[in-house]
Amino acid sequence: MKYGVMVIGAGHAGCEAALAAARMGVKTALLAVDRTAIARMSCNPSIGGIAKSHIVHEIDALGGEMAVNTDYTGIQFRTLNTKKGPAVQATRVQCDKAFYPTRMQAVVDQTPNLDVIETLATDIWVENGKLRGVRDSNGETLAAETVVITAGTFLRGKIHIGDESFEGGRIGEKAAYDLSTSLESLGFRLRRLKTGTPPRIHRDSIDYECMELQPGLDPPPMFSWRAKRELFHVEQSGDDLFHVEQSDIRPWRPGSDQIPCYLTHTTPETHAIIEANLTRSAMYGGQIDATGVRYCPSIEDKIVRFRDKSSHHIFIEPEGRINDLVYPNGISNSFPKEVQDEFVRTIPGLSRAELVNYAYAIEYDFSDPTQLDHSLESKLVENLYFAGQVNGTTGYEEAAGQGLIAGINAAIKVIRGTPLILSRHESYIGVLVDDLVIKGTDEPYRMFTSRAEHRLMLRQDNARYRMRDHAARIGIVDPDMVSETGRYAEQVESEIERLNRVRRGDRTLAQILRRPDMSYGELDGRDETLPQEVARQVEITLKYDGYIQRDLERIEKARGMEEKAIPEWVDYNAIKSLRTESRQKLNEIQPRTIGQAARISGINPSDIAILSVVIKRGRA
Amino acid sequence: MNMINDDTIAAIATPPGEGGIAIIRLSGPQALSIADRVFECAGLPPSKRAGNSFVHGWIFDDTTGEAGPEVIDEVILLVYRAPHSYTRDDVIEIQGHGGAVCARRILRRLIDAGARSADPGEFTRRAFLNGRLDLLQAEAVLDLIRARSDRAATMASDQLNGSLSSLFNDIYDNLVSSAADLESSLDFSEDELPGHVIPEIQDRVRTAAEDLARLRATWDEGQILREGALVVITGQPNVGKSTLLNRLLTSQRAIVSGTPGTTRDTIEEGFILNGLAVRLVDTAGLRETDCEVEREGIARAGSYINRADVQIYVMDASIGIGTEDRTNLERLDGDHSIIVLNKIDLGQAVEADEVRAYGTPIECCLINGVAPDGIKDALSTIIESGIPQMQQAAISERHRSLIVNTITSVDEGLSRLGENEESGVLLAANALRDAIEHLGLVTGRVYHDELLESVFSRFCVGK
Ligand SMILES: Cc1cc2nc3c(=O)[nH]c(=O)nc-3n(C[C@H](O)[C@H](O)[C@H](O)COP(=O)(O)OP(=O)(O)OC[C@H]3O[C@@H](n4cnc5c(N)ncnc54)[C@H](O)[C@@H]3O)c2cc1C
Repeated sequence: MKYGVMVIGAGHAGCEAALAAARMGVKTALLAVDRTAIARMSCNPSIGGIAKSHIVHEIDALGGEMAVNTDYTGIQFRTLNTKKGPAVQATRVQCDKAFYPTRMQAVVDQTPNLDVIETLATDIWVENGKLRGVRDSNGETLAAETVVITAGTFLRGKIHIGDESFEGGRIGEKAAYDLSTSLESLGFRLRRLKTGTPPRIHRDSIDYECMELQPGLDPPPMFSWRAKRELFHVEQSGDDLFHVEQSDIRPWRPGSDQIPCYLTHTTPETHAIIEANLTRSAMYGGQIDATGVRYCPSIEDKIVRFRDKSSHHIFIEPEGRINDLVYPNGISNSFPKEVQDEFVRTIPGLSRAELVNYAYAIEYDFSDPTQLDHSLESKLVENLYFAGQVNGTTGYEEAAGQGLIAGINAAIKVIRGTPLILSRHESYIGVLVDDLVIKGTDEPYRMFTSRAEHRLMLRQDNARYRMRDHAARIGIVDPDMVSETGRYAEQVESEIERLNRVRRGDRTLAQILRRPDMSYGELDGRDETLPQEVARQVEITLKYDGYIQRDLERIEKARGMEEKAIPEWVDYNAIKSLRTESRQKLNEIQPRTIGQAARISGINPSDIAILSVVIKRGRA
Repeated sequence: MNMINDDTIAAIATPPGEGGIAIIRLSGPQALSIADRVFECAGLPPSKRAGNSFVHGWIFDDTTGEAGPEVIDEVILLVYRAPHSYTRDDVIEIQGHGGAVCARRILRRLIDAGARSADPGEFTRRAFLNGRLDLLQAEAVLDLIRARSDRAATMASDQLNGSLSSLFNDIYDNLVSSAADLESSLDFSEDELPGHVIPEIQDRVRTAAEDLARLRATWDEGQILREGALVVITGQPNVGKSTLLNRLLTSQRAIVSGTPGTTRDTIEEGFILNGLAVRLVDTAGLRETDCEVEREGIARAGSYINRADVQIYVMDASIGIGTEDRTNLERLDGDHSIIVLNKIDLGQAVEADEVRAYGTPIECCLINGVAPDGIKDALSTIIESGIPQMQQAAISERHRSLIVNTITSVDEGLSRLGENEESGVLLAANALRDAIEHLGLVTGRVYHDELLESVFSRFCVGK
């Protein structure tokens, strides 16, 4: 049996890749060591957050599963940055750690063209330079036309708890060593990164009255078009029989019965204990020398780097409805168990905390993503794709976004179409992929809104308008969504045209709406029949209008460079006037266009000028 | 071999029209071998000589036959070896003694021997592409070439040494770090990061705004030093304007010839006054007229007057102040005007004190050849006062317009920050991004094709 697409690893990247390929009609296999670990949430069971939420909306608009899965298994829904303007507003949903993977497994099982194979991949099977498939730990060969590697933190994974350390891909799961070796022998550059997770506390050992209550939002903000629509219908009909489909979980209406989080903080005693034990931390004791997540620091890191801060926030987040554990967000560390017990108990509300699992840090191999094209196909081995944490990113959303792109492109490769490449000015996923393959990364890469040049255009509220043409071409979203998006887009356009035309006194309605304190709902002369979403798009578009126009001009200006191809004959080694380090960088990354070359870090304007001159002359 | 500069370029580096020595430059991989072909001297040929050395000898033409090659000029030849040269390629500099005609013959000889005639600014372009100069320095070279006075040259050479670059870089770094703080307040919820206080960021952005305003102010200084102060002579017909022009010029050496073709009725001449370049413009007489050509001339005079650093209003002191004089005097900017009371030998119907309110009065009789020292002193006092005492830097027109854009963006950022609305932070961050982009264009830290084009198209041939 030969598969069109074979995905190694059923994490968040792997699930999106496999589902997309299968939904596109390509025979797909998803390789998982353990079926029940599919879509497991390694760390905090929360999806979204600033910039990550934007990615989830794009995934939904392109036909991925993460948004729907989150909405249907969420236990707390919030909007972040509410006051900072729509472009940086974000949705964050706390999921049920048990139900999230259960539902995803059910979706995987029910998807036609998709087989789950329970096995550990050990080798990329290449013959005469041609990819043939995968070999596994049972010595079997599994034939496939294309292979997507989504191995997460499992490649040569090594877990540290204080001075203890052992092999593992996640706590309680085996690491993948052979696959690393296989990739190296194919010539791939692998490097080391590390990340960590806090201890888990039994929910009955917490005194909640000492903490600040953090309730969810009602009505709950949702990611997916489908959940929003179904919820709307339920509300319209008064029908309460809405339930989590495709599983045997007790039915509940998404967004109902939300579970609150709590807020507490570290104390001077906490800091004293941590300072006194720094040398016993795996990270500070020197056992780990890989690069960690700068933006999601361990508690040791925070205390050492921000010495003038006497207290840090800790969020107490429930892991689910029937799960006894809570996740104390903000105290990931790599201390020995007894130090963890000691410092946790100095935190208000946690004085009798029972630590069920201890915090750990993990070191793992990642594959330098500059070895990939924008389609996430590797330049070294044709038909081999990489996605997710294995490319040096961190986070479920970043993983899922790449998984979706890699899965779609592997399937497109099989059916011989044009790859899906999202640009920086149309999506966060485009920014993510471009950063990875052009700049690479030295630390676990997390998405931020500041990474996007055209931030005001890339909002979560307009993701489906941005993705509409791509979604229509790929064809795995609900056709109703595509047509509704098209209809809404037209309505937005004609309403903006009307507002620019109709006057109240000496000003147009558009000018009146642009005033900071004005909203569409209060506008004298508004169209009451417009769907709420259309009205919102109209309002945001008009308020940002001047900025968006400037952005569009800038995009137009950059287009020349962006599209100027670097021909095959260009030989960087022969261009002696380039600095040696520039020559090295260009050789390593092999940009396709001048615009890409200009974004490579360390490449400066005069390098680009030289390159342009060489290309213009038409010879080296 | 250098792949970009794989041919060898040549050009005359000295400005046309200047007497004395002419310098011809040759740069590129064949510079040494071409020099060997055209140059004869005692001892080793140029290609066998060390870098940074010079040798006396002769440039020969390629006449064959009985008489053999003929001498074009007696020259000093300087050898610079890559990368220790202006362009980082091999460079030969030929200093001829025979003036402009000889220089052109030498250039032709070099081209016959395999060199290519350089495009405008190509030497400096090569220096830039080879990493020898940054963009600001490259522009300074342009200014240095065009410098019309000693003080302009000092300014350009300061810029060449990078003092302007470091000033820009400081502001740039300040803006980048402020923007980064704003960005992180958007990308992290309050609890994730130690809070960055908006007022503190505001202070830093304000400092940047002040630095930028100061830099922009230096543009006026730069303009005067670089382009020369614009001094316009006005007055009614036949009061002695042209005579004044000639008097001012004959006592000095004119370094710029009249701008041909552009005006029929305004004459622009240049001279150096106390180390400062002055552009002197004689305008058509100011009076009501029906003649179309004359009206046109007067309109043109008006446009000069608007741009003038100093206006010299000439009047016939022997007739007294007429109504037209009165109207014209009222229009003068008192701090930047000199009023010449001419023809006092014919009788004095106007006293200096009567016009003092309109400008600095000078009494004289130009026709008698009385040296108008008083005029020159008053002129230089006014010009000096227009130059801010900040000698540190001055900026070019391209810099100025980018700085103006930067200032607009920074101001927008500041006003968004001042809105007391959290949503202002997002737009402020956006404005700072724009500011950084504009400022980066000054120092070349952001790349645009057309930027390079526009910078280099302004270079003269030879540098
Ligand atoms: C300890 C820890 C702490 C973390 N902390 C954070 C954090 O603070 N913030 C944050 O944003 N993210 C954090 N993460 C990261 C987040 O969990 C990942 O980014 C995300 O899960 C990556 O998704 P993925 O699909 O790339 O890989 P994973 O979710 O890791 O999935 C990989 C899958 O591949 C399978 N697999 C691997 N190798 C093979 C093989 N050879 N054959 C078959 N199957 C294989 C594994 O069994 C697994 O199911 C943390 C992860 C860990 C482990």
